[in-house]
Parts: sequence; C-alpha cells; structure tokens
Amino acid sequence: MKNIIKLTDVHKIYDSGTHALKGVNLEVKEGEFLILLGLSGSGKSTLLRCMNRLIEPTSGEIEIDDENVVTAKGKRLRKIRRHIGMIFQQFNLIKNMSALTNVLSGKLGYVSLWHAITFSMHKNDVAIAMSNLKRVGLDKFAKNKARNLSGGQQQRVAIARALMQNPRVIFADEPVASLDPATADSVMRYLGELNKNDNITILCSLHFLSLARKYGTRVVALKDGNIVFDGTPNEIDDKRFKDIYGEDAEEVEIR
Amino acid sequence: MKKKNKAKAAIQSIATDLLFWIYIFGCFYYLMHKWTGFTAKLYLIGIAALIATIIFQLVRGSIGVKLFLSAGKVKRSWLKSVWGYLTILSLLITFVVGVNIVGVDFYKFFTKFQNAGGIASGIFDPSVTGYSLSSESINELKKDDLPPDVLNTLGGIQNRRYSTKKVFIHDLEKRLGETTFQEYKSVILKSAEKNTELLNIALSALAETIFLALLATVFAIPIAFVLSFFAARNLMPRTWLGNIVYIIVRTIATIFRSIEAIVWAIIFSVWVGIGPFAGMLALMIHSIASLTKLYSEQIENIDSGPVEAIKATGASTFQTWVYAVIPQIISPYLAFTIYRWDINVRMATIVGFVGGGGIGLLLLQQQQLLRWHNVGLLIWLIAFVVWVMDMASAKVREKLVGM
Repeated sequence: MKNIIKLTDVHKIYDSGTHALKGVNLEVKEGEFLILLGLSGSGKSTLLRCMNRLIEPTSGEIEIDDENVVTAKGKRLRKIRRHIGMIFQQFNLIKNMSALTNVLSGKLGYVSLWHAITFSMHKNDVAIAMSNLKRVGLDKFAKNKARNLSGGQQQRVAIARALMQNPRVIFADEPVASLDPATADSVMRYLGELNKNDNITILCSLHFLSLARKYGTRVVALKDGNIVFDGTPNEIDDKRFKDIYGEDAEEVEIR
Repeated sequence: MKKKNKAKAAIQSIATDLLFWIYIFGCFYYLMHKWTGFTAKLYLIGIAALIATIIFQLVRGSIGVKLFLSAGKVKRSWLKSVWGYLTILSLLITFVVGVNIVGVDFYKFFTKFQNAGGIASGIFDPSVTGYSLSSESINELKKDDLPPDVLNTLGGIQNRRYSTKKVFIHDLEKRLGETTFQEYKSVILKSAEKNTELLNIALSALAETIFLALLATVFAIPIAFVLSFFAARNLMPRTWLGNIVYIIVRTIATIFRSIEAIVWAIIFSVWVGIGPFAGMLALMIHSIASLTKLYSEQIENIDSGPVEAIKATGASTFQTWVYAVIPQIISPYLAFTIYRWDINVRMATIVGFVGGGGIGLLLLQQQQLLRWHNVGLLIWLIAFVVWVMDMASAKVREKLVGM
C-alpha cells in the first residue's frame, strides 16, 4: 500500500507562544484506520487541523495524496480540502438548516457560488445527498432541522456530509466525546464501515482505548506535541497507557 | 523589560494623581468663585495640584498609587485607606458642583406647575374635532331673530377655527358677556360646525412619519448587511488589506453613529430641503451606522464550529459566508432590524422638529402657535403609535429569538 499522508518535521507555535507540535513525522498508508491518542492539549486537534490547513503549520512538510498541502493556495487548497472529510466533537452542523442541506454543503468544494445557492434545484446533488443520508440511516430525517436531531443523529449527518465530499481521507476530531457510550459505538461503526467498504483512510482522535482496539488498525499517541507511541492497538499495555496519559490514569472500559 | 513596566506604572500613577488633583482644585475654585466671587490666576490650580500630587505620592496613599503601584509599601497603616477618603471626597465634590452647574431647583419644580397649565389642559382635552362658525351658518342665524350686536360679534369670528368646544364656548362667553351668551347658547351651538381638519392633517403627517421611518430602515438594511461582514473581526483576514478595510468600516460607522440623527436632519434639511425626505436620509445614515455595528457584533458572536466545518469541505470564502455565517445571523438580524424601525419611528418625530417633516414638524408649528389643544392631540397620536410599534416589535422579536 502506498502512503497517502506524509508529514515531515511539522511544527506549530501559536501566537500565544504555545509550542503545540514539536516536529511531528508521520506516514499513513492508504486504508488505515489510525487512532490518535493523547491528553487534551497534547496536540491531536492541532495536528488534524494542520493537515487541512484550518490551522497554518509554522514549519514542516505535509503531503496528502501526492499534493503539497503547505504551499497550496486558493483554488488548489480548496481542491485538496474537498477530498478530506472532517468530523468534529461538536458536530458543527448548521443548526437551523435541514439535515439534507447540511449534507449538501459537503459538495461546496466542487461547485460555484450560484450552484451552491440553488442546491435544491440540482436533482443529481439532492439524490446523492439522500443516498448518503440513507447510508447513515437518516433518510427519514432529511427535512428535519439539525437542531432538532439528537447528538448521535447530528454526528451521523456530519458523516453523511463528509461522504458528500467523495473523500479519500476523513479526519475525525474526537467524534464521540460528546456522546453516550452506546451512541459512540454506533458512530464509530459507521466510520469503520466507510474504512472497510469505501477504502477511506481515517484518522480519528479518541480517548477510549476500548474503541481504539475495536476499530483501529494502528494507534499513534501524542504527548506534549511529540509522538510517543506508534504501533498496533493491542500493543498498548498498562505501562504504555500510563506513559501516554500520566501515572494517575486508569483505563475506562466502554463497550 | 520589568524596569520599563515599573517606569510606565509610575508615570501612569503620577499622571492619574495630577489629573485627579487638577479636577479637585478646579471644582473647589468653581464653587469658591460662584459663592464668594473669589478669583485667582488659573495656573495656581495646576501648582496646587502638583504640590498635592507630590505629597500624596510621597506618602504612597493616593489613588494613582492604589491603581498602578499597589505593590508599593505603605509607611503607616492608616495611610492605606487614604485613597478611599479621596475617592469619597471627589464623589461629594462632583455632586455639589453638578447640582450647581445644572441649577437644580426643586422649589420651582413643586411650586410653578401652573406655568404648564396650557399644555396640561391641551393633553387632557385634545382637539379631536375643531369648532367654527362659517359665513353660511351666520346667515342662517340672521333668520333666528338674533339681536344685531350679537350678530355683529359673531360676524367678527366667522370662519375662525377653535380647537375644541370648550375653547369655542369660552371665547364666545368673553365676547358676548355671560348672560347674553347663555340666552342664545343653544341656537349658536346648533349652527356651529364641527370639523376634523386637524385630525386629518395629523393622521397624514403621522403616516408620513411611519413611512419615512420604514424607508430609512429598508434602505439601511442592504447597505448595513454588506458592511457588517467587513466590520466583523472574525471574518476579515488578518492581512494588511483585511485590517485596513476593517478599521475604515468600523471607524466610519462609529463616527456616523456618534453624530445624532437630529444633527443629520439639520444637514439634510439644508441639502435637500425641509420635508420627510430630509428626515428619511438622516435616519437612514444613522441606521446604517448602528445596524452595521449591531450586525457585525452578531457575526463576531457566531459559533465558529460550522465555519470551520464548511471551510474544511473546500468551500470558498463567499460560500462559507452563505452557508455557515448567514444562517446563524439571519434571525438576530431580523430582530435588530425591527427594533431599529421601532427606534426610527420614535426618532422620526424628533427629526421632524428640525425640518425632517412628518408629525414632528406639525407638532413644532402648533407648539409655536401655542395651540395647546392641538399639541395635545398630536402628543396622544405619537404616544399611541410608539406604544403600538413597541409592542409589535417586542412580540416579533420574541418570536424570532425563540426560532
């Protein structure tokens, strides 16, 4: 398998002086389900956002799908971004729009402004959006406003939105941290399905080792902006866990 | 670095004290001058302030020390609270000077109410219908065997418009004498004609006011809508161009907003002539400036999550605005806009006073003619419309925010 993501010595220093990433080197192969572990503030979110330039990296090289992300500007950056789906802890849907419109917005990287304003008139786009909603089991909720959906449903709409992008990669930034354990598992199951059936590479930050073991094919752990572990989920024993999360940490089971 | 900060704090502390003492001695001088006619060279205030500053800086108990050098050591414990006494002193002296400058005189307030009697009677007896004797009705009266001197007197007031029945009767009583008037009262009153001339004029002026306020708001909306995006810190890119656009839009909006609508009305009544158009322009300028500010603050308060998410899909800047920003601001925008219309209706009566047309202009004219009953009617009409607008806008806003 070829590398789809390649990071070389990526640094991020915020204006406040925080050194969030201290020279991260990472290669991700196509089709991997990579779990990012680490305490809050260890640099997971910063790393994911640097990879699609929602945050500007201070230095280093980032390549995704043979495209140089760091130097990309304007249209080229948009083209790179449209193949990268992103899922957030707070779902980040547009709350007073329908689920369908939210899914359609995943197509924005492909269309003109006018096309975007008249989305509902493009039957083809609407059909694709509906089939994506169906994939996450929400086709019956297409007309519901996002704010009226439950947390788990909102996150599934967000997955459908990412699917709309025809993504090669999906970044998920703590996608289940605001959900209850049962819902969390179902959301992870959808991500796992995309990984297996559509061969979408997934980078997902998590706090639950049990979910990491269940769905991840590889685990990378960050601590203070450095990669401190890189291996398979089963290699993380009690000692490694304490290395990552600190001496006082206890593993919490979630099924 | 630390030394520099210390020096800065010391300068701030001394400057604060100096200004404080100049103010205190200035106030003292004002009061002395007013009460005893005492005069002195003004620079003496500065010298006295300087001396006081030095003394209180040395004992380290002043307000400046408290604010900027609080870590400094105090030599005696009672000096710790000197700044508190100084604050109380400054508040007291401010109050006394304030009362003197404003000329507060509650004795007048309680004893001179009768001066406002004209207005009060106008408000309690507004001129809903006017009274008059036309030449035709006087001709009719001639057939009723009225004495010639009475007819003569009535001829003297033909076609004169009285604001209310009461005013009409009062005037006739004065002209004819009470007994004569009582004798012919029923005949005269029967031929007197009611008219709603003023009410008609007032209602059309009121419509003018409401529509000029509406148009001022409608014209302001699209302009403020576009400007607000450029005045929102979180949307403008932090490049030099972005910063310049942001600063220019913000500055102009702030300046235009700090100039009251009444001042704009004076400018425009010269520019385009007295009338509702001048009033509309004045309210429009003021509305653009304040809506730009309100709108842009709304944009700055939006949830950045959806913006990030839409950006991540590869959307362009404009697409991000359309999909992630506008849906979040549309209902607060509507609420603000309706509130603005409400404010504009209220302000439209005021700008009328300086040439902005509408009911304000009519009110000014009637007030200058001392027609208090007409003024009364106009006040009631304005109050009614403002009350209705206020209620309606509150209801609509409630609905929108709950959306």
